[in-house]
Amino acid sequence: MDLTYSEADEQFRAEFRGWLDAHLPAEWRERGFWARQDRDEGFAMRREWEAEKARAGFAGIQWPVEYGGRGGTPAQRAIYDEEMVRYRAPLTVNGLGLTFLAPTIMVIGSDEQKRDIIKPLLHNEVIWCQGFSEPNAGSDLAALQCRAESDGDEYVINGQKIWTSQAMHADKMFGLFRTSTEDKKHRGITMLIVDLHNPDGSLAPGVDIRPLKQMTGGLDFGEVFFTDVRVPKTNVIGVEGSGWDVAMLLLSFERGASAMPQYTAFRRELDDVIGLARDLGRDKNALLRQRIASSVVELECLKYHSLHLLTQVEQGKELGAASSMTKLQWSETHQDIGELFTDVAGVAHQITGDGLDDLQRSFLWSRSETIWGGSSQVQRNIVAERVLGLPR
Amino acid sequence: MFFSLTDEQRALRSTVRDFLADRFPLQAVRELYDEDTDGDPAELWKSIGEQGWLAVLIPEEYDGLGLGLLDAAVLARCWGEGCVPGPFLPTLVAAEAIRLGGSAAQKSEWLPRVATGEAKLALAHGGRVTQADGKLSGTVRHVEYAHVADRLVIAADGGRLWLVDPRGAGVTVTVTDALDRSTVLATVTLDGAAGEELAAPVLPDVLDRAAVLYANDLAGVARVALDRTVDYDKTREQFGRPVGSFQAIKHALADLHVAVTMAEHAGWYAAHALDTGLPDAALAVSVAKSKAGDAAREATAAMIQYHGGIGFTWEHDAHLFFKRAKRAEYQYGDPTEHRERIARLVVDGA
Repeated sequence: MDLTYSEADEQFRAEFRGWLDAHLPAEWRERGFWARQDRDEGFAMRREWEAEKARAGFAGIQWPVEYGGRGGTPAQRAIYDEEMVRYRAPLTVNGLGLTFLAPTIMVIGSDEQKRDIIKPLLHNEVIWCQGFSEPNAGSDLAALQCRAESDGDEYVINGQKIWTSQAMHADKMFGLFRTSTEDKKHRGITMLIVDLHNPDGSLAPGVDIRPLKQMTGGLDFGEVFFTDVRVPKTNVIGVEGSGWDVAMLLLSFERGASAMPQYTAFRRELDDVIGLARDLGRDKNALLRQRIASSVVELECLKYHSLHLLTQVEQGKELGAASSMTKLQWSETHQDIGELFTDVAGVAHQITGDGLDDLQRSFLWSRSETIWGGSSQVQRNIVAERVLGLPR
Repeated sequence: MFFSLTDEQRALRSTVRDFLADRFPLQAVRELYDEDTDGDPAELWKSIGEQGWLAVLIPEEYDGLGLGLLDAAVLARCWGEGCVPGPFLPTLVAAEAIRLGGSAAQKSEWLPRVATGEAKLALAHGGRVTQADGKLSGTVRHVEYAHVADRLVIAADGGRLWLVDPRGAGVTVTVTDALDRSTVLATVTLDGAAGEELAAPVLPDVLDRAAVLYANDLAGVARVALDRTVDYDKTREQFGRPVGSFQAIKHALADLHVAVTMAEHAGWYAAHALDTGLPDAALAVSVAKSKAGDAAREATAAMIQYHGGIGFTWEHDAHLFFKRAKRAEYQYGDPTEHRERIARLVVDGA
């Protein structure tokens, strides 16, 4: 057991903190700052700031230098994540591309794809969204129906995607499309790259996007409709019919990440709830104290667990299905903290004034976290079947 | 960054695990339930002394191994996995009081004898014991293995610690029958008993270290209870299919796997935090003990439930795990007490 970071890793931390001190505007770190910004302007500000950060070398921390990354260690990636949260730095605008697409392209992309996709993604020249879910394909993703029919050197896409995060701002989508209805449902799927917007910001031909208002009141996801949208066959990631396997590879990259960012963010939220309890004179209530402590227990366990994950990643071990456990631990704990907030605040948690404050937004948002990226029920099936070996 | 057991600790774990499974399987634990014994199998004690495991926390200058609490936690975990009886953990805990608070003479007298297995010790705390002129009076209940101990470490009012000979004048040790027969709980009654005070009042440190050891014992209980339930539910068929294929059971077992894994990591972290003096050590101790207590209670209760009727029989092992989990849940702070301590640290900033 050794919980210290190497000198090189601590040196990296110092450099990154120095950069953040110099380049992260103080007002951006204030509570509620981003909620007060116009949605599109806020997006543009974050997009440009993140590009500046990439130019300074603080992006793609673990990616190879040949792809524009920093070539750092897993520990440096963890330090980067931790400092981003600690500084209240803005969330990335290109998370799906960074987390999922780029690592996938590094493994199975063509040389052209590696050249054309990875670096522009890192510098926010191209914003990506992920087209997986459909109205009738949620947890049962392989039931997807959006068609891509072969026509010479192209596919012709017709159908719909839904719950697509960042659809309104994305230049391109990587998505799963049905290229055959004859094979078993997992087999007739292909992963394709589709243009959603033209460089001038207008919709690409045959594409229609409608925002969906979320229960937070935000417009972070939408529906995407395709009518005879033509994409060249060079836009296939992997090969035709391999989409399911590519998707599994792609989703596996979520699993390399520790949950230290969630720990840091949720612990701060819990501190805010504790502060609220003090302000309201409820901090001596024995039952609330027990529940606050329960949330501390679960969060501290998440921290220890994350340190263990980081160690396994550094040793080059595959985390595989065990990462479902990590997701269950943080998403369920976050909901508990949201409930704790409303119980401390009482009916006052309903009062919104000019907009949602951070605790209100987080409380509502936590209801999505046990659904996206594999619902808690799907995660429990994965743990039960692939970790414990229980029969299907 | 390395948050895991070392190769040496893993090797120790598999050695101890195999040894205990071979020399003291659950069938032997069962004999303590079915036969009238003193609850302290002599062959088991002799062999663990020979293996040197009692020496784990004793400094090298007192003929010990001088290892850390994490190494001792690895051993405690194996004891929990096998529901292993005997005064092993109680002796380790009481010896920590002498190691941390004893004078040089007290350490020289007792630590080498603990290391070889010649001496058994028990910590008697949580009762009401008063002291006047070195004479102790009062009662302490639920003291593990006081009836076979060579010395008792008694916590008196004011937090001072005293060495007392359980066979001396004014000391009565009465064994009480307990649900869990993988331990023996006794009542210690003192009536003007002679005591020799330890040089330093180290009770809070000792209780923290004990809590970590028992948390790791509980993690072992919880893990084996869960593993055995999973194995059973893979093959037990009802409605023409294995019951483990039903989501009502799958999801419960998946949640337990998460909880037990968290308890395991918390047990390691707390031991390491005390070994290296991390600033969040006190918090980590209470996180580990409360999480392990909850996880072990839930996992062993699930072991009964998801075995169905057979799980409620005397013949099945489920009750051995359940009763041990329930006993250790309350030793060295139950989950509610540790959560209140966490609230004092985090809410009150104490």
